[in-house]
Amino acid sequence: MFHKLKISNLRQPIADATTVTFDVPNRLYDAFNYYPGQHLIIKFQVNGKEARRSYSLNSSPFRDEPLEITVKKVKGGLVSNYVNGQLKIGDELEVMVPQGRFYADIKKEEYKTYYLFAAGSGITPILSILKSVLYEAVESRIHLLYGNTHQDSIIFKEELDALEQAFPNRLQVVHTLSNPKVWSTWEQWKGRKGRIDEAAVEWFINQHPPIAQTTSYFICGPGAMNTGIRKALMGLDVPRELIHIEQFGGTKADDNHTIDSVDNASLEVHINGQTHSLKIPKGKTILQVMKDANTQAPYSCESGVCGTCACTLVSGTVEMKSNMALEDKDLKKGLILSCQSLATSESIVIRF
Amino acid sequence: MPILPVEAYTSQEWFDKEQEIIFGNSWQYAGLMEDIQDPGDYITVQCGHQNIVIVKGRDQKLRAFHNLCRHRGTQLLRAVGKKQKALTCPYHDWTYNLSGELISVPEKEKEFPDLELDKICLHKASVDIWRGMLWVHPKPNAEPITEWFKGCREQMGPHDPTRLIEYPDSSYEKVINANWKIVAENFMDVYHLAHLHSNTLQMYDHANAKFGFIGDHYMFWEPHVPKYKDNLDQLMPFKRIKEMTDEYLGAFVPWLFPNFGLSETESSWSTFHAIPLGPDKTKVVVRTKLEPMTNWEYQKQSMKSYNSWHGIMGSDTKYGNQDPDDPMATGDFMAEDVYACEQQQKSLKNPLFNVTMTAKYGESTIRTFQGIIKKWMEQ
Ligand SMILES: Cc1cc2nc3c(=O)[nH]c(=O)nc-3n(C[C@H](O)[C@H](O)[C@H](O)COP(=O)(O)OP(=O)(O)OC[C@H]3O[C@@H](n4cnc5c(N)ncnc54)[C@H](O)[C@@H]3O)c2cc1C
Ligand code: FES
Ligand code: FES
Ligand SMILES: [Fe+2]
Repeated sequence: MFHKLKISNLRQPIADATTVTFDVPNRLYDAFNYYPGQHLIIKFQVNGKEARRSYSLNSSPFRDEPLEITVKKVKGGLVSNYVNGQLKIGDELEVMVPQGRFYADIKKEEYKTYYLFAAGSGITPILSILKSVLYEAVESRIHLLYGNTHQDSIIFKEELDALEQAFPNRLQVVHTLSNPKVWSTWEQWKGRKGRIDEAAVEWFINQHPPIAQTTSYFICGPGAMNTGIRKALMGLDVPRELIHIEQFGGTKADDNHTIDSVDNASLEVHINGQTHSLKIPKGKTILQVMKDANTQAPYSCESGVCGTCACTLVSGTVEMKSNMALEDKDLKKGLILSCQSLATSESIVIRF
Repeated sequence: MPILPVEAYTSQEWFDKEQEIIFGNSWQYAGLMEDIQDPGDYITVQCGHQNIVIVKGRDQKLRAFHNLCRHRGTQLLRAVGKKQKALTCPYHDWTYNLSGELISVPEKEKEFPDLELDKICLHKASVDIWRGMLWVHPKPNAEPITEWFKGCREQMGPHDPTRLIEYPDSSYEKVINANWKIVAENFMDVYHLAHLHSNTLQMYDHANAKFGFIGDHYMFWEPHVPKYKDNLDQLMPFKRIKEMTDEYLGAFVPWLFPNFGLSETESSWSTFHAIPLGPDKTKVVVRTKLEPMTNWEYQKQSMKSYNSWHGIMGSDTKYGNQDPDDPMATGDFMAEDVYACEQQQKSLKNPLFNVTMTAKYGESTIRTFQGIIKKWMEQ
């Protein structure tokens, strides 16, 4: 269900990104409440065509601030370039209510240490979590490792600096640049260099032992960095269930592995109290088949990251091209992503 | 009338029950956070009947386990250790990783073909850091430490102990021949300050002390006497602690249930851990931290304090007795307290022992404390 929201402001935290502020009417206030870390799915009309994309909220629900997302330009990207250039204040966008399983359930009384890892545009949900913890959970502390290409690509640098000043005992931010510009600004980069790789994660954890011993780890960024960080953390014996990942896309599917799917498998779908019987041609995903048949399938990212299309596999077998939304415990319960699932048995039954 | 019976201070049976009910179910002080520095470092702590290991993992997090091998229950580790890669039981070499999971068993295929290693983990306890101190609780899912101390932080000193430096010569350890509750009651006895310590704690204005309980924890603050306050720079024994701005001046001396006291003054921060060893034996461990300072600053301040003391404060020992072995003449308030506690314990055996009355204000704290013990023991 999409709601029309008016854009009340646009600003550029860096040259290559735009922060979009939405005006939420009073009657939608409750519907648009959210957990820090969640995202919006937005329907754009670009060159007369509809395109859906997900954007994490960088605002905090614990502060009296309007809903905000920040979109960073992706080379050749359809929507991100539209937002960075064509979108205007006063425009209306169709927006779904906040959602996503990547969020921090922050309690006022909690006593926790948060380890946050962000790269590039991945700072958006991390900033929301960070502000929420600082203002709501006054006993908890935060350590953020934030990777960017160079000095001029650090989104929210000033805001983070100001928060670090305001909360010197509770927030520590470490920036790392993979390719710092030598003469970009008046001063040379004296901070850490390099990507957030395994060595950087280990160094970071060792430099920042927790005070409060209940810990959470949140990781967000595009590309393969996320899984690398998780691997590094698990290598340090961090229990997997404490590690939360949001994947913004930008990973290439593994080309060496082709899934040997069945042609013309039968599909039985139970959804909204109805049953549909369909056929799956070889190579098509369950979601594609459902969309072609006009069944009301829930979906948004179509790339295996948001989990909107998740359903229960009642019988049969499938293989997913990619999965960044479901965790082991979800898989054990039989959940699959319909947008990623190819049939590997003759007959499949699913339930939404 | 006293709230607790004499047996509460003398009987083994009462002691054992207390260990189980109170010490088996509460957060307890386990040391300073710097006692465990690196991954693989561990310390062991006695929590009532249970011995607990606190070990730092490779993720820099502390984990607490009962010091008990899952094979046949042998004590796994002794005292303290540094940079262990894994925890190995001395008896049959069963080995656990730093997360407490069993990772190897000698001759497994032959002797334990059906044993699933990953199903076995050391029994977990809880551990946390609060105000720069280590705290353990024998139960795995203890209430959060901040909940246990809810409301206390604001009533305690503003000191940030993580910033302060432990002064190596300051630590003090002594076995006192008295029940741990006598030690605790002495710590909370406001009435005795002006009397037993008339010449050792005379820099404080006991008549204006503010005290009371928050939950089961005792909070206490008293201001300096004007003479001391006006000459603070001259008289304080060490460098002024940064957080102790004028509005806080005086001493915060809380007792955190069940067995831990703090003394937080303008120039020092001391922990006072009373470890019950038996019905009439308690080990007291005192450690002191100070504002970071150079040796030279240290010497200068203590000389200044020493040289100015007599002129400004006047000082005679209570009985004009110069015998250096008499605890009442050492000028050391700890020695005075130890003396009083041990004498009190001795008297419990005297058939004539009884308590005529306790002071309306200055000993109300003792009645409250005994009531808390009673509440725990009856629950
Ligand atoms: C849950 C979620 C939250 C997100 N939050 C944000 C956010 O807060 N801010 C933000 O800027 N983006 C965010 N994204 C990414 C965003 O949804 C779009 O994928 C991104 O803006 C690119 O869209 P596009 O139409 O410009 O590019 P497309 O035209 O869809 O893609 C162009 C090319 O760029 C690649 N690409 C796609 N996304 C990325 C990326 N993130 N990094 C690098 N290459 C990419 C594609 O593989 C493709 O080759 C989020 C994604 C998800 C799933
Ligand atoms: S639609 Fe997002 S995971 Fe399938
Ligand atoms: S009792 Fe520990 S290995 Fe046997
Ligand atoms: Fe005393």
